Amino acid sequence: MSAARVAVIQFPGVNCEAESVRALKRVGLEAQVFRWKRPAFELREFDAYLLPGGFSYQDRVRAGALAAKDPLVERLAEEAARGKPVLGICNGAQVLVEAGLVPGGGEVELALARNRMPDRAGYYTRWVYVRIEPSRCAFTRHLEPGTLLPMPAAHGEGRFVGDAGRLAALLDDGRVPMRYATAAGSVATEFPALPNGSEAAAAAVCNAEGNVLAIMPHPERAQDLAGLCRTISGPWALERERRAAHHTPGDNDGPGLELFRGLAARLEEVA
Amino acid sequence: MRAGAKSRGTAQTAQAGGELKADVPAAVWGLLVAGTGLAAGGEVSGFRRLRLFELRGRLPARSRLEALLHASTQFYNPHKERCVVRTAAREPAPVPVGTPVVIVTERGGERCAAAERWWLHETGDDIEVREGVAWVVELKAGADAAAVEDLVTVRDRRHGLLCNPRSQQARIATSKVPLPWIGPPAGA
Repeated sequence: MSAARVAVIQFPGVNCEAESVRALKRVGLEAQVFRWKRPAFELREFDAYLLPGGFSYQDRVRAGALAAKDPLVERLAEEAARGKPVLGICNGAQVLVEAGLVPGGGEVELALARNRMPDRAGYYTRWVYVRIEPSRCAFTRHLEPGTLLPMPAAHGEGRFVGDAGRLAALLDDGRVPMRYATAAGSVATEFPALPNGSEAAAAAVCNAEGNVLAIMPHPERAQDLAGLCRTISGPWALERERRAAHHTPGDNDGPGLELFRGLAARLEEVA
Repeated sequence: MRAGAKSRGTAQTAQAGGELKADVPAAVWGLLVAGTGLAAGGEVSGFRRLRLFELRGRLPARSRLEALLHASTQFYNPHKERCVVRTAAREPAPVPVGTPVVIVTERGGERCAAAERWWLHETGDDIEVREGVAWVVELKAGADAAAVEDLVTVRDRRHGLLCNPRSQQARIATSKVPLPWIGPPAGA
């Protein structure tokens, strides 16, 4: 049986396509960069889609706003409505939110607003912990709620906001599959564990069906265990140290690959 | 009021609008995307985009005010942007009268702390600096003026571009650019 095919959609200004392709290939998927000038109907040939990080259209007007109106995204919405998985990372998440694909229904219900941080403004990058929450999300449902995944956040506009109570309602409905957390596993309430002031400490939001996920931190940048930041503690750090101490060759799979494994499992189910 | 800051004088307001001397990429792409992707996109012939600042507090005379704004890229870069300063509503704005202008601001994020710190350092005066993005919406002849609202506020993929109301707010001026325009009324 041939591997499921994933289109890694690259708008001008996107710059995380190579590592995204690499992460998809590591979990056994066939991945191909799909540039913005290709006809939108060709997206139909793929089984899943990934919108990588970067600065599509230079973040002009507002991060993700211009790409969200692209004919490719209109086609993407049609394919998502057929149940195909769509993962948006960082700028890709901003596109999905601006396009109304997350939390879904077509209406734009959320924004990824400028970071809110004490005594600073603008772009911020740091390794953070995200905690898996109970959810029907296709990318995380193979993980136990409470599981911590360390990965880098790197954005200037990553604060999930909506009308009063909307994020809390989405959390109750299982549509916030990941929240920022402390190293001890409790929900982050303060900077820097909560790096942007996101409502409900949301690090990711999915649609009602669970096949479209917008995540602000970068799982593809946490795909190598050896690349785990030295500030990270917990089981992933212990495993990295154990391997380094024993010069264990081979498996270098890092925490970020878990989301890609979730995608691969979903595609295997529907094959 | 910060420690060491001066507080004499009465509050004044000044408005500074900075605009690239070259074509503004956000305006060019905004027009392209509006024309191809938005229901009301056919009504618009052009966008202009200005970064608008409002300064409130004890401000110096106009020449000194302009020199200070010129001196820091917190406000604009004189090598590539032009800047028009107004200190009274009757003064002309860099927009033709009758052309719709939209100010888009971040909810709860209008204040520019870095610009305020720079001003305090340079002058010793503790003022408020607010910022927004002003979009000049040039409509085609005979276009429906109601199209402006449909171009501004994002509702879905076919409606709205300039303001996501979940994190931003937009105010539309159809006759002339108000002063003050950003934040609460002066004196509030």
